[in-house]
Parts: sequence; structure tokens; C-alpha cells
Amino acid sequence: MAALPTMRPLGCLRSLWNAPDMIPSQITRRCLSTVYSQRPKRVPLPQGVPEQFLSQLPTRMRPENAPKPIKVFNPPPSARKACTDPVAKVTESQLETLDPKGERKALFDYRRNPRSVRPGDIVRVTFKNGDPFNGVVLSIKLRGIDTSFLLRNELTRVAVEMSVKVFNPNIQSVEIVQRAQRKIRRARLYYMRSRKHDRRSVENIANAYVRQKKAFMGAGSRK
Amino acid sequence: MAPRLSGKLAQLSQSLGLWEIPLTIPQISIRNFGIRSLNPPKPSRFNNHPGLPVLESTSTAALRRKAFSLPLRTGAIGIKKGMTAIFDTETGKRIPCTVLQLDRVEVVSHKTREKHGYYAVQVGAGWKHPRNMPNSLLGHFSAQGLSPKRHVFEFRVKDESGLLPVGESIPASWFQEGQYVDARSNTKGKGFAGVMKRHGFHGQDRSHGVSLTHRSMGSAGPSQGGGSRVYPGKKMAGNMGNTQNTVQNLKVLKVDAESGIVVVSGAVSGPKGCVVRIQDAIKKPWPEVASTPAATATAA
Repeated sequence: MAALPTMRPLGCLRSLWNAPDMIPSQITRRCLSTVYSQRPKRVPLPQGVPEQFLSQLPTRMRPENAPKPIKVFNPPPSARKACTDPVAKVTESQLETLDPKGERKALFDYRRNPRSVRPGDIVRVTFKNGDPFNGVVLSIKLRGIDTSFLLRNELTRVAVEMSVKVFNPNIQSVEIVQRAQRKIRRARLYYMRSRKHDRRSVENIANAYVRQKKAFMGAGSRK
Repeated sequence: MAPRLSGKLAQLSQSLGLWEIPLTIPQISIRNFGIRSLNPPKPSRFNNHPGLPVLESTSTAALRRKAFSLPLRTGAIGIKKGMTAIFDTETGKRIPCTVLQLDRVEVVSHKTREKHGYYAVQVGAGWKHPRNMPNSLLGHFSAQGLSPKRHVFEFRVKDESGLLPVGESIPASWFQEGQYVDARSNTKGKGFAGVMKRHGFHGQDRSHGVSLTHRSMGSAGPSQGGGSRVYPGKKMAGNMGNTQNTVQNLKVLKVDAESGIVVVSGAVSGPKGCVVRIQDAIKKPWPEVASTPAATATAA
């Protein structure tokens, strides 16, 4: 209920009523729960308690029940530390048997070796089993043991592409038939698949190379 | 009409006075006057005659059934390090392979038929800082005189002859080149995947009135006639991958004891660095090994 209008003038007395000395301050009005008390400190067990008094202690506090430290044993020598990169180790051991002199690796390491096969070269690959294959090198993928190169040619007017793994033991030889005619600015010559840039068949160039080689080597050293 | 004894009593009196009375009284059959028992004796529903076959639902029988497919010796814990290829020098064939590394693999404890109900070898691998290990587990290793292990797994074996002594280390030469193993590991986690990716559903049409549900699964179940409910095990979208997978019959191509390398043919589930458990393949003849583990260690 609202205050009656006649009581309004008495409102000036309110300031007297609210005087600070009339109401006890908040700081002094404290209930029990807010009283600060320090956390009780753990009293250490006195040293050298006589044995007859030990039975009065709780069992968990008796010295014979004190937690014993667990002995931690040292690990045996680590195979992980001995060989941090097992995949590389397996690959290297493979390369040692497949390419002991590192010739094949050097032949396709086109980033470092200036004499290596480069994209755009015409290459002749002979296999231990099967026919030799000639073609333009479209790309060389350097992937360690899986290093491979892609050859493109045209046989019986059908474009043929062949991916050859460099370290495959079935490969007998890889010969550079002809270097790229002009400087190739790309590492992947996939544009040669388009009709405009297709080299078509390189069989004639390869055959000419084989004939020239035979003449050079002489009839006596024919395989 | 004179009262007559009932049939049974008449017979009784006859048998008692057999010597005095000649057999002049004719045999009276037992008559029940059409009254039958409400609970006629029934043959037992249970096979309780002698000569029954031995029960096959016991733990002993279960172990006997399982014995056929349990390896004779324990396996090892490896870490998948990556994939590479190996060329067969004779045929020139390229064999893709996975490189696993065994790091400080040791036998931690045994599970026995008497105590646990089966035979298994608990194997630990790697090393974990004792600070990061609960005391209960630390005590488990220290009680055997072993360093704290990062990975601990069990390998079931057929019988107690397969229990390698506790504390014995399992080198990479535990496996022989040419033998076959099963590799068990967790697959790569794919997260929450839809039904097309997770179960190979075909999804729905691109058009023909389909809107906003091109990759969803469609109906989850039949109508009222089919039970009007979704059957348990219905293939739906959900978490895919990160489940255990066993790849069987992987050939061991290469073993290097010093660096703990085991090279197996083909792929093994999981990302690089995952834990792979390898054990003798259960679908191939067991490898011929020397009887004692010490002999294999010296041979390697």
C-alpha cells in the first residue's frame, strides 16, 4: 500500500532513521560461518616414539605400514633409438643389393646430376625378359626404391605409355637415345599428351640409334 | 448278488491260500470301470539314461574347440613405421610391404587355465616414464624386475608349453623370414561418417524430385507389416574407423634383430606409429621353431 499523502512531510525523518550509528555496520554483523579460522596444521609424528606407545597409533600411521617406495628398473637398450628410421633402413638395404654402385640412382637423379636422364629425352629400355621399349620421358618420380619414369611412344599408330620402376631387377639397361631438342622448362610434360604437342612415334629415332650403335661397336661385338 | 472282492484282493487271497483251494476260481482281470488317472505316468522329458555324450557347453570343451585355432607360441607388439616395397631378385616382382619395429618387447606375466581360465602371455613393449604411471601398474612391472612398459597386450596360446618365461625378451628374430603372421591393429578413425562412406550405400538420386537428401540412407525400416520398428543392427550413419582389424596371412619378408625391424608383405591397418600385434598366422602351418627360446636367440 502506498504511503498516504498526508505522511509525505514526515519523510524527512527517514534520514534520521537511516543514520549509520543507529544500524550496526555490515562488518560487525558477522555470523559464525564467515569467521575466518586457519586450517589446522598437520602435527608431525614425534620422532623416536617408544615402542610401547606405537600400538596407540592408528595402524596406517605406524612406521611398519609406511608406504614403501617402488623400485623402478631401468629399461633394456632400445631398438627404437638404435634405428630411428626403419623404413629408410629397409630401403637402403634394398638399394644396396639392387643398385650396389648407385648407377641407376645417378642416372635418374635429374635434380643433381647434369648427365642424368631428363624429361623430354628419348630413352630406350631393355628388359631381361620381353621386348625393349622406346619413348619420350614424360616425368621422373623420385621416390627412393619406387623411383620410376614414364615413357610415351606410338606403336601401330596407338599412343602407348609405360611407367618403369628404375630399380626393378628385370631392367637390363636404360640408354639415352636423344636429348631434348631445346630446353624443357617443366618437370612433368603431360602436355605432350595433347594433340598439338604430341611427339607421335619415336621408333624411327630409336632404330637409327640402334643401327648407329651397332656400326660403331662393330660386327664383332654384336650381342 | 453276493459281494465280490475287488480284483487285486481276490488275487491276493488266491496267492495266500494256494495250497488249500484248488484253482477253480477263474482269473478276474483288473477292471477300473472306465476310471482313469488324471496324472498318468509320463516318460521323462530329459535325456538321463546312461551313455550320454559329454556336455559341450563347459569351459573345458570350449578350450578344446579353441585349441585348434590357438597359436602355439606368443606374439609380439610392434609399431607401424610406414610402407615401402621390396623387389624379388629372382622374379623381379615388386612386393609392397609394411615396416614394423619391435621395441623392448618383454613378457610381463602369464594367464593360466587354473587361475584365469585360459592360457595367455601378457607382453609389454616400449618404455613409459614411471612418473606418468599409476603405482599399481608400476608395481606390476617392478615385481617382475621389468621397466615400466608403454603398451601391454595379451597373446593367447594353446597350452602351458607356450608360456614364455616372465622377463624374457621377444626380439624381431622371434619371427622367421618366410613365415606367415596375423597383424592386429586399430583402423584409422574417420569420425562421424554418413551411410554412403560408412556402409557403401548408393545414396539417392541427384534429381527426380529429391531435395536435400542426396547422400542420406532413405527409409530405416519396413511399415506395419514388417514389425513397424527399426531392427537392431540397422546400418546407419555413425562413428567410422578406429576399430580393431586383423589382417591375416602376411608373409614376413625381412627380419633385423638389432634394429627390431620386421617387414611384412602388404598393408596393415592403422596410421603410422600405431600399435600392431603380430602373432603366428592361425590359417597357415605353425612355423618350425627351436624348442627353447634361448636357442632361437643364439641362432639369430
